Amino acid sequence: MEYQNEQQRDIFNQPVRPLPNATAVLVLGILSIVICFICGIIALVLSSNDRKRYQENPGAYTSGSYDQIRAGRICAIVGICLQVILIIVYGFFVAFVLKNIPRDNY
Amino acid sequence: MDCPGCGFQRSLLLLLKGDLFASIRMYWGTIPILLMLVFLLLHTRLNFRNGSKILIWLYCGNAVLILCHYFYKLGLY
Repeated sequence: MEYQNEQQRDIFNQPVRPLPNATAVLVLGILSIVICFICGIIALVLSSNDRKRYQENPGAYTSGSYDQIRAGRICAIVGICLQVILIIVYGFFVAFVLKNIPRDNY
Repeated sequence: MDCPGCGFQRSLLLLLKGDLFASIRMYWGTIPILLMLVFLLLHTRLNFRNGSKILIWLYCGNAVLILCHYFYKLGLY
């Protein structure tokens, strides 16, 4: 990992730094399992810029921070999909229960 | 009518009281989620080599566990 960084530094003659939002995206992505929806969406928004920056110039950033961005994005997407599915299932159940409430015909 | 997160708080309180098995029975995902959060904290500080990949697997495992527990609570098995 150190050797890789030195190579990158030599080639581009600039210090290799981590992507700015890497840790935030990872933490928000993982928190999206506990704090619904909002964490996942914020994680995806924050990570879009960083991803673009990394893809334009991969040598200027550490690969570890890109791994963190990737992990945060995957967790956020899985979390959001899961919650959407569960809300739909929950909605169906509520609708089913409401439909089958016995009515009093007086 | 239960939601997927129902029981998490109660399970956490049971865990703080020290009753491990009651906590697991109340909400299957409490201890795995706490372990994942601890690993997340360690990874942000100590930067493990494959930490991000491990976290993806831990997250997906937790998601599956929570889904399974939710369907079990609803009686859909």
